[in-house]
Amino acid sequence: MTRTRAVATVLLALLLAACEAPKPGPDILAPTEEQTKVRSYQTRTFDIAERQVAMRAVLGVLQDLGFIVERANEPLGLITAARFAEPNYNDIVAVTVTVRAVTAGQTMIRVNAIHNNRPVVEPEPYQRFFAALEKSLLLTRS
Amino acid sequence: MLASGACTTTAVVPAFELPPDSAQRRAAETRLFETRDANELLSASAAVLQDLGFHVEESVRELGFLRAAKERSAREHGQEIWRAVALILSFGKLLMPIALEQKIAATVVARPADAAGTRWEVRVAFYRVVWDGDGKSGDDYLAAGEQSMQVVRDPAIYQQFFAKLSKAVFLEAYTL
Repeated sequence: MTRTRAVATVLLALLLAACEAPKPGPDILAPTEEQTKVRSYQTRTFDIAERQVAMRAVLGVLQDLGFIVERANEPLGLITAARFAEPNYNDIVAVTVTVRAVTAGQTMIRVNAIHNNRPVVEPEPYQRFFAALEKSLLLTRS
Repeated sequence: MLASGACTTTAVVPAFELPPDSAQRRAAETRLFETRDANELLSASAAVLQDLGFHVEESVRELGFLRAAKERSAREHGQEIWRAVALILSFGKLLMPIALEQKIAATVVARPADAAGTRWEVRVAFYRVVWDGDGKSGDDYLAAGEQSMQVVRDPAIYQQFFAKLSKAVFLEAYTL
């Protein structure tokens, strides 16, 4: 009888332990190798002198891709946009684009995409975004 | 096996791919104006949207960007009839959620069409977000608040907007 009770207690303790929320590790804010890799997919430098030209091109691309631009801040070089991921109309893809001057004549553009609550870490979507942006820049310049 | 199956999420890669009809959409949503005054184009766009019942939510003059929205009821008689038919056919088991509220919004972007800034193009996109009410399927309660988004594709809506805009700025609107 006591043995059964002891087994039951141990089982209950195990079950309760499973309910405990996982604790964040000490390196929660430390950059990982993965993050550096993702950042390199998300970033590209263009030979554009003015931030405004780059931002207008980004706006154009986002419109071409069917995104709804939600917010833009020219002095800070920020653009936020979102769209429902067709054909599944309940999924949301949100992007934040930052445009910053690196050197005179060069502008760095970084895109962060989130699909629902999952950050997009695959390189392909970003490659496609930048390909479309290059096309748009050509159109703007001509 | 089951546990690991529960942990894997289906990775859906969002396509940043240009839709095949992007050139057509661009043409329908864009008009050219022969003017140097971008501010006038933008403020006239805001005025046209106001006339249509929208309120401006965001505006950035430096980028020629404007976002406006209006909220309206999304209830239609057709939906109520379908809901009643489904309820009868399922012997009272299925109470379909119907669209209750909708937000109709527009984003406007004005940008120079040439380097000298003598011609400006205005691109507008209309879309709507619909929120469903609650429902019931058997004993399961379907919570309210499901959203869906639709981009307005009807060219007539865009023609109307540009007709009003061109009247407001006393300029002809050229197609691309």
